[in-house]
Amino acid sequence: MSLSTAALATRRVLAAASHSSHEGGARTWKILTFVLALPGVGVCMANAYMKMQAHSHHQEEFVPYPHLRIRTKKFPWGDGNHSLFHNPHTNALPDGYESSHH
Amino acid sequence: MAHQAHAYHMVDPSPWPLTGAVAALLLTSGLAIWFHFHSTILLTLGLVLLLLTMYQWWRDIVREGTFQGHHTPPVQKGLRFGMILFITSEVFFFLGFFWAFYHSSLAPTPELGGCWPPTGITTLDPFEVPLLNTAVLLASGVTVTWAHHSIMEGERKQAIHSLTLTILLGFYFTFLQAMEYYEAPFTIADGVYGATFFVATGFHGLHVIIGSTFLAVCLLRQIQYHFTSEHHFGFEAAAWYWHFVDVVWLFLYISIYWWGS
Repeated sequence: MSLSTAALATRRVLAAASHSSHEGGARTWKILTFVLALPGVGVCMANAYMKMQAHSHHQEEFVPYPHLRIRTKKFPWGDGNHSLFHNPHTNALPDGYESSHH
Repeated sequence: MAHQAHAYHMVDPSPWPLTGAVAALLLTSGLAIWFHFHSTILLTLGLVLLLLTMYQWWRDIVREGTFQGHHTPPVQKGLRFGMILFITSEVFFFLGFFWAFYHSSLAPTPELGGCWPPTGITTLDPFEVPLLNTAVLLASGVTVTWAHHSIMEGERKQAIHSLTLTILLGFYFTFLQAMEYYEAPFTIADGVYGATFFVATGFHGLHVIIGSTFLAVCLLRQIQYHFTSEHHFGFEAAAWYWHFVDVVWLFLYISIYWWGS
């Protein structure tokens, strides 16, 4: 059976697409990177930024719950009372915030 | 000239297993000494010895494989098994921390207020930075696959670009997570919530740093023509490790950030 030139070309393209793991696989993943992956990151960046702007800066009221701010053993650095990523604005010490709300 | 009548690699005597073992001893005892006696000398010595061991041992492996031809197909097969077994052991490592999380969160004790999150804990919004972190790691999975195909097709420049992009995404994740750690309204000392959160995500972050370093070494090797289109197992191992790190994050995100909020 003889095929037209167009049909032969189409068959070639479809065959290449199905074999994309061997021929032109890099191209497929390059396209996915710039069309899907990186724009997806961009959308999430914009979303996170806008949500952060919409936050109130209100400092959580301090309640001295006994099940939080455990100090059974001092931290082996500084005065032993501050966690490694201590944030004076958001992390209260066992007896309250160090800094008052700005 | 001596020849071997087999395809396997009989490794030359090496001091690095011993220095690595000594480093492990210094790190463990050093940690205990630091906690109890506030001296960091053993810990520092152990860290230095560990870094020197890793650098020199892996440099030797690169020399044996890339320059001396010892990594024949059967040897490569063994290396593949080794990497798979190692990653499997890491899966079990994380399984333990997920077990701890679910143990505490599925049946919250009265001390916590009988609820999860515990009373007084303000959780992070899973749809802010944590969602961005998810997108970043998923994107890095796409770029590392682009890198692999580029190497297989002999596309040198594309391989360098995609591998660099992967590493940058890894750095971006680490940067975002460090910021989250600082901004979080809870600390590791905030009961079992803080403990499970920071230990699980903390070890994950450490693995992201390790994976990024592994990929960076692959980038340097790719630039120096170490990889061929047929033989690039070091890169494959790094890519497997990176996908593993990504999958652990997905479980962390679903369990701790989303369900646990």
